[in-house]
Amino acid sequence: MGDILTAGLLRQMLRSATPVALAAMGGAMTEHAGVMNIGMDGMILIGAFAAVAVSAVTGSAWLGVLAAIAAGILVGMFFALFVVKFKSDEFIIGTALNIFAGGLTVFLLGAIFGVRGTLRTQAGLPAVEIPVLRDIPFVGEVLSGNSLFVYLTVLLAWGMWALVYRTPWGYHLRAAGEHPGALRTAGISPEGRQWQASILCGALCGLAGAQLALGNVSMFSEGMSNSRGYVAFACVIFGAANPGKAYLAALMFGFFDALGYRLQEYQISANLTSMIPYLITVAMMVYVVLRGERRRAAGRA
Amino acid sequence: MKRRNLGSYFLSLGLSILLALGVGAAIMAVTGYHPWEAYRALFQGATGCGELGDLPSLLTQRQFGNTVEYAMVLFLTGLACALGARAGIFNVGGEGQLYLGAIVSAYIGVVLAGLSPWVVIPAAALGAMAVGAFYAWIPGVLKVKCKVNEVITTIMLNSVAIFFCAYLSNGPWKTANPNRVSGTDPLEAVYRFPQLIRGSNLTSAIFASAVIALLVWYVMSRTTTGFEMKLTGHNPRFARFLGLNVDNIVIAAMSVSGAICGLVGMFQVYGVKGHYQDGISNEYYFDGLLVAMIMGYRPVGIIVMSFFFAFLKVGAAGMELNAGVPGELYRIIQSVVIFFLAAEGGVKALLARKKTKKEAANHG
Repeated sequence: MGDILTAGLLRQMLRSATPVALAAMGGAMTEHAGVMNIGMDGMILIGAFAAVAVSAVTGSAWLGVLAAIAAGILVGMFFALFVVKFKSDEFIIGTALNIFAGGLTVFLLGAIFGVRGTLRTQAGLPAVEIPVLRDIPFVGEVLSGNSLFVYLTVLLAWGMWALVYRTPWGYHLRAAGEHPGALRTAGISPEGRQWQASILCGALCGLAGAQLALGNVSMFSEGMSNSRGYVAFACVIFGAANPGKAYLAALMFGFFDALGYRLQEYQISANLTSMIPYLITVAMMVYVVLRGERRRAAGRA
Repeated sequence: MKRRNLGSYFLSLGLSILLALGVGAAIMAVTGYHPWEAYRALFQGATGCGELGDLPSLLTQRQFGNTVEYAMVLFLTGLACALGARAGIFNVGGEGQLYLGAIVSAYIGVVLAGLSPWVVIPAAALGAMAVGAFYAWIPGVLKVKCKVNEVITTIMLNSVAIFFCAYLSNGPWKTANPNRVSGTDPLEAVYRFPQLIRGSNLTSAIFASAVIALLVWYVMSRTTTGFEMKLTGHNPRFARFLGLNVDNIVIAAMSVSGAICGLVGMFQVYGVKGHYQDGISNEYYFDGLLVAMIMGYRPVGIIVMSFFFAFLKVGAAGMELNAGVPGELYRIIQSVVIFFLAAEGGVKALLARKKTKKEAANHG
């Protein structure tokens, strides 16, 4: 079994992890602001659709990415309107948003493009070759030649961490979730931070959709988010809403997703291997709680 | 007071549905369809009647049978969701429980082939309910004992169950018939539920479903158990203080919810399809879950409204066939109803807050 851990596996890990990581960083923002965002799956799906639709029509992948971010921002505002302004139940709105996104994207697929199921685009995101690095054996195979967002996501994870923990904005964001009353006394509106977090989350989920559809496969297919929004939510919980840790959690999901693909080459049914990342996500959720309990127990002792 | 609240709720519900149908029409108009023609095709698709004058023949129409059958699926899954929600746990995993119930019941029918239907059908029903209950029990226990968010675990377990069933129906439990790519062996004809309207999906399963719906309604609204559930969902600490075993109530509610979903899977196999196949449920549970949310988890409301949404759903399939409008319009309309209901509640609360503030300012 030693030959399972190949460069191809690690490459696939990065590809699988990136959309989840992008969404998870968005989810970390809303989580800090005290908003439970179950609707990320729908946001990713709408982002993926916008990316493919626009890139198929214009022939430009970058316009597709912009469209995905714009669509994500719109959905983020829509979400905030209900959850922040109207104070509706986050769970109901998130679930309805996911189902709405599933219906809308399939409807538009049929109404605009006249197809059922999938829409292909010629314009995918180009691979970025990194000079010098690409010539190093193994390392070059893993790290060079991915789409731009695979690299940007690493920088973004660091940037978001700094934003949340090292800037006044991030300080207020966390206060909006933990002590909204105190923040209000300081003259800053917690609702304002929640709006900003929701919009940022929408944008990042849109980008996640763009990477999923244009970076990984160059097509949109019905329900292609495949519960990744929920996986991202699990990564947020796992990483205690720290963008850096959420990125690492996404990498772990990516690893097991890639491992599933790899195991298919050993004559193991794809249906069985596809279960792995979802089971791991459940295990992740359970682990977080057990870890928390152990820490509490240690604190009491 | 309570009556009046209910009255205003129905008013805003009616308004939300009308507005959602309007949004549906607007989306169709923008994307180049003819909304009026589409809604006519939808009506025909759901009832089998092209004109209002044809309505007397309703009870023999295949499409109408399908509508009633789907209403059955919706109120069963909707009630399953409400059972959990009342006790404070959201079962979003009904889809997986349904799949497992379907494949286990199909397998029981294949293994016990040759035995009397009086043995096979109860065995299949029990098997489906047991596997559904077990599969809901897992996230229930994780929620109660470990405080793991049940929304995420149930969603993940949905994917796991659907892949696992696909594995079984393409692998060990696959039919020997070389003409079929996947799915289990067909059930013997004697095990199939008799059709109530020829050529439709409507079978005698509707009677069993009616009994279950009545039971759930009775338990939820007329018994101490139902009251204890409500108390647990509303204020678990207070319920615990009263000496209720909150943990057991939540786990039991979740398991019963899963059992009902498993049974819906069995009804699909023994009523509609005659064997298990991939995609036996096309997110049916989520349709039922939305109905439950729209009706605020009220049992009677769920049962009544299921017929309306089944009408829309089955009609939408006819609309796709006859007017070329993608049937997914149904999901858009259904979720938009929720948004309107939420917006209406939100605006009311917003106005109330403003009013209080103003009054406070006047007094100050």
